[in-house]
Amino acid sequence: MNLLLKPVESYIKYYIKNRNEITLGISKEDVKLVSNYLFKDLDCDLATIVAMDDRHHGLDFTIKYVFSYKKEDYFFIVETMVNSKIESLTPDIPAANWFEREIHDLFGIEFINHEDPRPLVLYPENFPQNLYPLRKDYKFNYRPEFKTYGKYEYKDVEGDGVFNILVGPIHAGIIEPGHFRFSLAGEYILQLEIRHFWNHRGIEKLAEGKDIWEGLSIVDKISGDHSIAHTIAYLEAVEKILELDIPLKAKYIRVILAELERLMCNINDIGGLFQDIAYSFGSQGMFILKEDIMRLNKLLTGSRFLRNSLTIGGTNIDFDDEKISTLISTLSKIKDGCRFFKDIIASSASILDRFETAGKIKYETIKKLSCTGYIARASGRKSDSRKEHPYLTYKDVRISSQIFEDGDCLARLNVRFSDIEDSLYIIDKMLTELPSGDTKIGLGHAKKGGSSLGYCEGQRGTIYHFLKIDNYGKIDRLRITDPSYNNWQTIQFAVLGDIIADFPLINKSLNLSYAGTSL
Amino acid sequence: MLRIIAKRIKEGIKSEKISIKDENVEILGNELKTKIDKHFHGSLFIREIDSGSCNACEYEISALTNPYYDVERFGIKFVASPKHADALMITGCVSRNMYEAVIKAYENTPSPKFVIAVGDCSLDGGIFKGSYATMDGVKNMLPIDVYIKGCPPEPIDILSGLLILIKAKIENK
Repeated sequence: MNLLLKPVESYIKYYIKNRNEITLGISKEDVKLVSNYLFKDLDCDLATIVAMDDRHHGLDFTIKYVFSYKKEDYFFIVETMVNSKIESLTPDIPAANWFEREIHDLFGIEFINHEDPRPLVLYPENFPQNLYPLRKDYKFNYRPEFKTYGKYEYKDVEGDGVFNILVGPIHAGIIEPGHFRFSLAGEYILQLEIRHFWNHRGIEKLAEGKDIWEGLSIVDKISGDHSIAHTIAYLEAVEKILELDIPLKAKYIRVILAELERLMCNINDIGGLFQDIAYSFGSQGMFILKEDIMRLNKLLTGSRFLRNSLTIGGTNIDFDDEKISTLISTLSKIKDGCRFFKDIIASSASILDRFETAGKIKYETIKKLSCTGYIARASGRKSDSRKEHPYLTYKDVRISSQIFEDGDCLARLNVRFSDIEDSLYIIDKMLTELPSGDTKIGLGHAKKGGSSLGYCEGQRGTIYHFLKIDNYGKIDRLRITDPSYNNWQTIQFAVLGDIIADFPLINKSLNLSYAGTSL
Repeated sequence: MLRIIAKRIKEGIKSEKISIKDENVEILGNELKTKIDKHFHGSLFIREIDSGSCNACEYEISALTNPYYDVERFGIKFVASPKHADALMITGCVSRNMYEAVIKAYENTPSPKFVIAVGDCSLDGGIFKGSYATMDGVKNMLPIDVYIKGCPPEPIDILSGLLILIKAKIENK
């Protein structure tokens, strides 16, 4: 047994180690204690909570609390069986808040002493509160009558001179749907309440019963701008279960594509940030670079979003000399472009003035909500699964994954600039060392059933795909967690004390995926 | 300041000549502005609605405003309110949660109005078809005037869809 677990050893009923996943069987009365130890004493992040309906196997519901340990490459998975109720972790681990509410909506498991038991994913305005779609006895295409079944209680602030501004779900720009309720006194924001899951499409249910190949066409549509990152997370899980060792060249190509996607998203974000402070020279400059990358993507893979380029056991694409030379020349243009704008910012007081101190997120907030990615790194917390839990070829690459302390919009802008440098360096290194050989292996007589945790560092943070495949090779459960899920909850803290006019900028500095959160 | 001016001169004008994957490409491309000038007094206002997409379509629609495409030079503008819009551009499979919002946006768009469905899921739900949480696209909900397929359609496809819309719905009516 792992020495780190010594203090909670007596609560562990069974202990299974599989690669870097350590599963701890805990009875449901002790889950809270063990989880608190992992979260507080070992400083783990709550990566995701996976619920599974195992009643058709004669069992109860299984809940897995996945904790990511950062000092060494371990995931601690607290596993327990639940009949209908379990003590909520939220009072001690705020990151569990949305997870537990979602599990209540979709599985009907009650979390005792949850501070905010309102529905989250399924809206009482159109969905009955006693139907649980992710239970195995719920048919994926059953649609209850569309009518009002209840009311969602918002938590508006009341008082002299306090007023509310309601925004969304449809916003002014070309963006995804979400509802924001501001309570203000004058221009200052007293409270922001967000309501998401407007584009809940039932992806996790849709995946069930599909084979692993069909799963591929679903996962790249979880969050469009992260097609590759979600696909890699899924493939990591599939290939671990099937015990496939993909060719080295395929690993290199996957890393290059993942970094291209990260580059595209970071550049797009910076363009958006400039747009929101009305600095159109900068924003259009960045959007030109983004379009260059998307065209490069199209040339490399046939898709501007790099879709359909990866497959189980390798990649569908290969790089020839022509592609590599275009890649190199485009990237050198991007390098120059990004450095040009970075220098401008450093010398422009009017730009810095908008970014500095706006949307400050404290380290404690990041820690409590288990945030990952640039949001965590802008507030001084280490977070990069490429370094902490290396996969593909990231173990052999130097990644600076720079950390900034201020937690404001400027810090999040600077993290992005430094991530761009990282990506450019990684792609360059992968290209120089690109091995020869096949990019795909046949599946042969691969082992079929099993479960595993796949993950990938997307541009926004760590993406987790927990996958369970049954003995017939069909997906039994696919639990998807986009980094936006945890990270969204920080926005309610980021805006406090800022003025309403800074909200678009703060929102853009976080630039989270609504689709990836809603599923 | 000098650096900025130097950069501008070096980069030049990015906007491309429109070329569309249609046989009438060139003619349509050159006529787009003329048509908008003629039928919409120079400005076609579009309100974009995400009814449950994966955000790839949004990415491509917003790319239309980047300097490579720069659709505003043809008079196409994405507006903030359906009340200002001539056309609604709807992406996504219409999730159950977005259903009412989409209907309200449609009702608030002044007539005459057009509905442009963008992306494979917007027509009938695409890959999300049948799911408990969706309403299977715009098809059964609103009258679609033009459907631009693709997952996601590229900016150039969206542009050609707009040209087709004007040609089919206004000129050949």
